[in-house]
Amino acid sequence: MPRVDRRFALPLLLAVLALVLGWGLSVGLSGYFVYLGMSAVVACVAILGLGVVTGSAGMISLCQLTFGAVGAWVVSALNLVDAPGGFLVWLLLGGLAAGVVGLVVGLPALRLRGVNLAVVTLGLAAAADVTLVQIQFPGATEGVAVQRPGPFTSDRAYFLLCVIVLVLCCLAVHLLHRSRWGSAWKSVAFSERATAAAGASVRTSKLTAFAVGAALGGISGGLVTGQVGLAFPASFTTIQSLALYVLAVMSGAHLIDMAVFGAVLWVAVPELLKRWGVPQDWGFVVFGLFGVQALASGTNLGLLLRRRTGNEIAPVAAEVPPAPEPVPIGGPVLTVRGLSVHFGHVTALSDVDLDLPEHGVLGVIGPNGAGKSTLIDVLSGFLPRAEGSVTLDGRSLAGLAPTRRARLSLRRTFQQDRVPPGLTVAAYVRFVARRRLRGEEIAEALAFFGCPPADTPLARVDVGARRLVEVVGHLLARPRVLLLDEPAAGLPHEEHLAFGRRLRQVPARFGVSVLLVEHDLDLVRAVCDTITVLDFGRVLASGPQAQVLADPAVLKAYMGETELA
Amino acid sequence: MLQGALAGLAAGGLYAVLAVCLTLMSRLVRVVNFAQAATGMVGSYLAVWLVVHTGLPEWAATLGGILLGAGLSAGLGWIVCTWLAETDTGTRSAVTAAVLLLLISLSFILFGNKPQPFRPVLAGPAFQVGGVVVSQVTVATVGLAVLVALACRLLLGRTAVGVRLRALSERPTTAELLGIPAKPLSIAVWAGTGLVATLAISVVAPSQSNDPTSLAMLVVPASAAALLGGFRRLDLAVGGGLVLGVVEGAVAQSDHLSLVRYFLPLLFIVALLLWSQRKEVWDAAR
Repeated sequence: MPRVDRRFALPLLLAVLALVLGWGLSVGLSGYFVYLGMSAVVACVAILGLGVVTGSAGMISLCQLTFGAVGAWVVSALNLVDAPGGFLVWLLLGGLAAGVVGLVVGLPALRLRGVNLAVVTLGLAAAADVTLVQIQFPGATEGVAVQRPGPFTSDRAYFLLCVIVLVLCCLAVHLLHRSRWGSAWKSVAFSERATAAAGASVRTSKLTAFAVGAALGGISGGLVTGQVGLAFPASFTTIQSLALYVLAVMSGAHLIDMAVFGAVLWVAVPELLKRWGVPQDWGFVVFGLFGVQALASGTNLGLLLRRRTGNEIAPVAAEVPPAPEPVPIGGPVLTVRGLSVHFGHVTALSDVDLDLPEHGVLGVIGPNGAGKSTLIDVLSGFLPRAEGSVTLDGRSLAGLAPTRRARLSLRRTFQQDRVPPGLTVAAYVRFVARRRLRGEEIAEALAFFGCPPADTPLARVDVGARRLVEVVGHLLARPRVLLLDEPAAGLPHEEHLAFGRRLRQVPARFGVSVLLVEHDLDLVRAVCDTITVLDFGRVLASGPQAQVLADPAVLKAYMGETELA
Repeated sequence: MLQGALAGLAAGGLYAVLAVCLTLMSRLVRVVNFAQAATGMVGSYLAVWLVVHTGLPEWAATLGGILLGAGLSAGLGWIVCTWLAETDTGTRSAVTAAVLLLLISLSFILFGNKPQPFRPVLAGPAFQVGGVVVSQVTVATVGLAVLVALACRLLLGRTAVGVRLRALSERPTTAELLGIPAKPLSIAVWAGTGLVATLAISVVAPSQSNDPTSLAMLVVPASAAALLGGFRRLDLAVGGGLVLGVVEGAVAQSDHLSLVRYFLPLLFIVALLLWSQRKEVWDAAR
């Protein structure tokens, strides 16, 4: 209980402090600086949105101020017809409208990666730019100024209102980052395949990020109309959207404090240039240069300021706990019949049959290129064009996407590192498990596999331990079947057998059946009841461990001369 | 309508040339160069400045501008090749977005944010088709687009340099290990596309809205055209550019549709993405 309280207490305390600071600035600053402060706060809301899209979800969005224009448009239009609810309701509606526009724009581009979204968003920004100049905002030509709400009509009071809105937005973004959505954003930025394998929809993850980012842009635009009274296209140009993107990249805006810092730069750089008598366009030249530098070096201010020192954390070599009561091996859970995969003229798998018994551990071995990883790709749904049938608990998996299969309790891990470094161990495990987990449950599972503690950032965990954390996450999902693709590959060799002894206990501890693809024969011997040997995509032998490993054909194909000797 | 469509062909030719440049960049040096049109813009502005302030003859000033465009592009290429050699297309392209911002702002400072007093390089009608005038500019840009696409095709398909470039684009590390000079060749590609883009923009800029933002944002319709060829095929990129220009020209004839015209490239892009992405694609092969 106290832990939970602390998790929410710190952000709330910071929010209260920010409000007090905002109030202090609103009464303490001169009128001119209050106005500048308003600009900074408004920009900060927009940068916060970019932080979600660009920083967390790793997409390029070049039209943040177009979403701002949508918000400004809605607020202006509602003000013109004097719609019920008043400014704050209009502001919210503006944010929602921008979110919807974000969804519509994002939808077609989200299947593709970064660059295409950049092309679409730049296209939208350019089109909106010229359109706005032609049609103008509602009420702009008639000079109908947007009314600030009741107690916030003066500049000082409106500045305070902007700060309140900003603080609420920051809290919302903070909570979102800690939610499943936030984990999904960081996961999808690192690997789409791993996101799908964890049962999260890649498209939904990207769309939520894009919509949240756009909605924040819309709120920022709505605030601008209250600030200046009349919205003008000059506040929402393409080049400013570009500058905001560059600023978000160079400051590391997925971190809330860095978004605030970016907003300060956004206002301070042009202001300083003005005071020094330098043309203000130099401000964007400076942003452009720093943006190139940040992208080229792959860092940002947030990363530089928070750089942690210390070694990478490796798996802990701990005693393997005593084995629990073994569970009886049941009938087949996963049945594979006549599975074939062709890549052009290459046959990767040919007529493969497999049966994975309930609570069993089936080893799949074979030389390089035998089709082991292809088998896992097919079973987990990443190669939909395979022939043959795969059934899980008697249910055919034909035509189901990886996300669906993961949700149906068929999980897999990857041979490569696909664990997003942006999360903590606990956040990642919760994201992958897709169910409510108690802290002790996580800690116990992590300790069982010798993983680092739950609050460790994954960026500090070495590759071998990361892959163990991946296994733990999927096990805590309590799947029917777990497909492991060389899970011990990143571990030191002496750790392999300890890992094998733990894996041996997995069916009894987690109630799961395991298909293990592995190179290390010692590990396979220690873990697997039954073994299937693949060679050039065909099943060479299949059956109980001792029988298969004694098969002369297997010895010849797989082990080669050295092992025979 | 036909008059409008033919008038749009000049812009279409420009889109096609830029689309060919974008396609080449994407294929050979793995980047979607958002600053492609902006480098051309800065080069063509320099030419105007040279004519106005130094009294240089038109042709010499234009040549100077084209060389500057090529040089700027080469410089950007050097930066990308030196510091971003190992990164993915997304990051490399994001750098060019930052450069786009930089170049637009820089041209605001150096040349102001108003349209420039361009003196047309080419002017007047080239010939008439059924009573409709086709301008010299149209002939020049369409011709340039086809010529550049054909030349690139020959260069890539028939020459030793082309083979090296293809090797670099398909297997960069293997090509480098074979002793192919990756960096100079890549920078040459950047310089070449910068040169061609500046040339095309210098020809068309006098006859269209030529403020810095408009010219720099030509990269949007150009990427729409390049997308038709999937950023790989030059012939489709040329076709896409011409079609987009013609449709825009035809739509511009109607006052009701004038807003639609602004969104045409975007609609074009979205439709193409929907079509090309109808099958699920993953971010990594395995």
